[in-house]
Amino acid sequence: MIDFFNANQVLVQATLSGLVLALSIQVPLRMGVFSFAGAGSYGLGGYAAALLVIHLNLNALEAIGLTIVITAFVGLLLGLVISRLNGLYLAMATVAFDLIISVVAINGGTFTGESTGLYGVIVDFTTTTMFIMTVVAVLLVALSERGRTGRRTQAVRDDQQLAASAGVNVRRYRLMAFVVGGALGGLGGAMNVMVRTTIGPLDIGFGLVVLALTMIIVGGTMSWKGAVLGAIIFTWLPHFLDFIGQWQTLVYGVIVALAAIFLPRGIHGVIVDIIRWVQRRRRGTLDKPAPDPSGDPEPEQLLPPSGTSSISPSAPQQPIRGSVARSLLARGAKS
Amino acid sequence: MQELVSVISLGSIYLLFSLGMSLTWGTIDVLNFAHGSIFMFATFCAYLILGKTSLPFLAVVGIGVVVGAVLSLLVQVAAFEPILKRARNKRSAEMQILIGGIGIATIPLAIAQVQTKSNPFGLAASTFHVTVWHLGSARITNVAVFTIVVGLAIWGAISVWLRRSRQGLALRSIGVDSETASLMGINRRRLALGTMAVSGALAGLAGVMFTYTTSAITPESGDTLLIKAFAIIILGGVGSMAGVAFGAFALALVETLVLTYTSGSWVDAVAFGLIFLVLLARPAGVFGRKEVRRA
Amino acid sequence: MNILRSRRLHAALAAGVVLSLAACGGGGSSSSSSASSSGGSSNLPSTIKVVGSEPETGPAAFAGLSAEKGYKLAVKQINDQHFLGKDTTMDVTFQDTKGQIPTAASIVSTVVPDKSVSAMFGSVSSQEAVAQSPIAQKSGLPIVYTQAGSDGVVIGNYTYRATPLMATYYPVLKKYVDQNKWKTVGVIYTNASPTLVQVATESIPKLGLTVTKSIATTATTQDFSAPIQQVLATHPDVVSILQVGAANPTAMTQLRQAGYTGAVLGNSGASAGNLKPAGQDGANMVWATDFNYQQTASSSQKFVSDYKAEYNENPLQYAAEGYDAAWFLARSIKDAGSADRAKIATGMAAEAKKKSNGALGENLTWKDGTIQVPGSAVQWTGTDEKLLYSATS
Repeated sequence: MIDFFNANQVLVQATLSGLVLALSIQVPLRMGVFSFAGAGSYGLGGYAAALLVIHLNLNALEAIGLTIVITAFVGLLLGLVISRLNGLYLAMATVAFDLIISVVAINGGTFTGESTGLYGVIVDFTTTTMFIMTVVAVLLVALSERGRTGRRTQAVRDDQQLAASAGVNVRRYRLMAFVVGGALGGLGGAMNVMVRTTIGPLDIGFGLVVLALTMIIVGGTMSWKGAVLGAIIFTWLPHFLDFIGQWQTLVYGVIVALAAIFLPRGIHGVIVDIIRWVQRRRRGTLDKPAPDPSGDPEPEQLLPPSGTSSISPSAPQQPIRGSVARSLLARGAKS
Repeated sequence: MQELVSVISLGSIYLLFSLGMSLTWGTIDVLNFAHGSIFMFATFCAYLILGKTSLPFLAVVGIGVVVGAVLSLLVQVAAFEPILKRARNKRSAEMQILIGGIGIATIPLAIAQVQTKSNPFGLAASTFHVTVWHLGSARITNVAVFTIVVGLAIWGAISVWLRRSRQGLALRSIGVDSETASLMGINRRRLALGTMAVSGALAGLAGVMFTYTTSAITPESGDTLLIKAFAIIILGGVGSMAGVAFGAFALALVETLVLTYTSGSWVDAVAFGLIFLVLLARPAGVFGRKEVRRA
Repeated sequence: MNILRSRRLHAALAAGVVLSLAACGGGGSSSSSSASSSGGSSNLPSTIKVVGSEPETGPAAFAGLSAEKGYKLAVKQINDQHFLGKDTTMDVTFQDTKGQIPTAASIVSTVVPDKSVSAMFGSVSSQEAVAQSPIAQKSGLPIVYTQAGSDGVVIGNYTYRATPLMATYYPVLKKYVDQNKWKTVGVIYTNASPTLVQVATESIPKLGLTVTKSIATTATTQDFSAPIQQVLATHPDVVSILQVGAANPTAMTQLRQAGYTGAVLGNSGASAGNLKPAGQDGANMVWATDFNYQQTASSSQKFVSDYKAEYNENPLQYAAEGYDAAWFLARSIKDAGSADRAKIATGMAAEAKKKSNGALGENLTWKDGTIQVPGSAVQWTGTDEKLLYSATS
């Protein structure tokens, strides 16, 4: 096991930084904020961390910490400026932000290493530390999916007006999306440069957005578990497709296309469906399958949280609006 | 004078390429990420055929148009329609189509890459030769003239068609409210297929003209133009024909100006910066009329 | 991090860096001229394993695949000649980096703990090499690169590069410039390639030319009419186009359409038939290369004829460089008399102090871990490459 780990260390590291990158886009998405700025923050974070190490000789933890602050702040600024946009327009604005970062990286003269990028970022940063940091980040994200924050996030996503009327400070939540996305992106980029010792324009830019999106959409948009699945699959898939040789990209593209067509809620969504089906079966209420409500059902909500009694299987049939309102009002959602 | 000529011919290429994307995005809400790949692959097929037999200019254009239309139709039927059918709401459908398009785009890309080993390829084997004409002190190629004339003509034809004809009206109504449109008896599917086919045909046409202009492209060339097409459509406004023309020529103008007055490596920043500013100031774009969903 | 990323917009960037790094390869092939062989070859195991990593797919594939052909030819000869001893053979396997930096790095970190592998051949791509070198150097794994001309590749005693930096042999064009009595030049170069940036800003002026206008284009520039117009407006004696990939034929075509009919100073990124789509418009581009199959050094010609016999085609510079890299490693192993990595590194240091004959030329030296080659001037006729002359070393 240790040998496997050592031999494939780079892939493990890529999985971890890919996961954090995916989360940096998934968290805003779950909040209904179509922001891809996480990819730009990843690039910014990578370069910032590299520069901090090269010029200020910081150690790994200091560099990562400072980088996260920087990228979170930049995320906040970005959010303040564009948070009124919505849908694909917001997405396009954040993509523009990402691309501007890569252009700045190429044009930054010797400071950013131009087209070669920066190299020689040597710090003491083990894969174990990387793993721990990633786990902490995932835990924080997972916590945000539960409880009050989880319900509020969902409310903000599904129906902003209703959430506002229930007393949720929508604007603050949306800004948080940008800050968290920025912080996560910065974390991912910083960790990546620590283990890779190099960063260049080829590592950042639009391809990152594509990568993160494929991880999230195929893995599952609704939960961090989907991001984990997506990160693992897409980091290791090329490895397993190796034997296909030169047609590998083709197969990869086909898989992404098929997943986008047939698995709209990602693999995680499929797993959730299977679990629900098994539960319904066990309860003997396997009649016609519950029709999907008009909004995005929160799979987490439909699964019985551990330790509490299972919710009624007919819950999915109620419109999300109603259930959101009910849960918010029931718990007294004062922000 | 020469600068004006370069701007207009560059702008026409952008226009041809972006027209297809703007058409589908503005009417049937399909942001087709495979557009660049189709653009390239249609040309690639023309290149392969020219490898066996030399053909005249119009035949090459014909091949590009047909292959582009067929590919686009294929993508619509095999991928986008199933996605739309399974999607729960409009927003997730948009995302799925985006990702689906990205995945599909890699398929023609991979095929071309393996065949050419990513070396540049062109359409030089046709009987058509690029000649240079003189317009006073300026020079212009016959390819550029063709692109400008055809680009503007097609743009004009589509604009008029969308506004005046019954089918055009039907198509626009799908863009506004597709449910109501189908209630009014509009065959959404047929119109969507038709739109995708036209969009693909335009991509193929753009590919052939682009390759004659630059004499060589690589399998990755389509993706570079894709991002520029976004900038153009956002700048001009989604769903507006006047907008896409404005955007295409405006981008060409800005790029040329930046290149002229600075060293040139900031050209991309200008395009992206422009997208950003327009989205901030006027998300609907300069000519956009589609309602912009605001927070 | 993943396939889709590199394959997209930055593909041109990647191709640019590779091509810019690789200058023409030259290659002669013959066994080393060094006579010394301190360690007895009796300590060598029966098989010496070497792992190579090259982009076999992706935008740099043509360079990677060509390099592999050169490596394999050399290894075949090394074994046939029993160069490492009558019971010892070299066994080299190649892995595809797919043009992905993490894959390239991963190959190296997988090889590091595998003690049966004695050395590696590194990727032709600069960005991949820059990620590979720190791992190799830190863990004491000897690695020889071809192409990969950026900083951060040759970083220590375990890293060597069997391709000269373009700026070191670009001066071979001075004779051509003097012959044509050019005084001024207009330059259009891509900022996607650090090598070409260096050539544009340093090497061109050193040819004795004054730069009247210099314009940097990006990896995404596809239409060159505007920069060409800018440059021609300053009426330089000669134009220089320093681009990678498809930008070369495009720029040449548009240059001719703009009315410029003279010669063009280019770079070896235009070789390997990249100018073919431009037809006759591409003719008269001249560049400096570290290898051309027509070059006259006898060790180079021997390589060319061996290569033709094996593969039935003329070798590109990438193959010549790979050939010489493999021979360099073989000589180093023989020198060290051992398959131990640290000893091989000592062997490489010793070999780099000697002159050698190879595919790239005769009496070649090494400086700071990079081979030095006098260079040749090559002209594209519109259909083929024509060797103008070689520099005397």
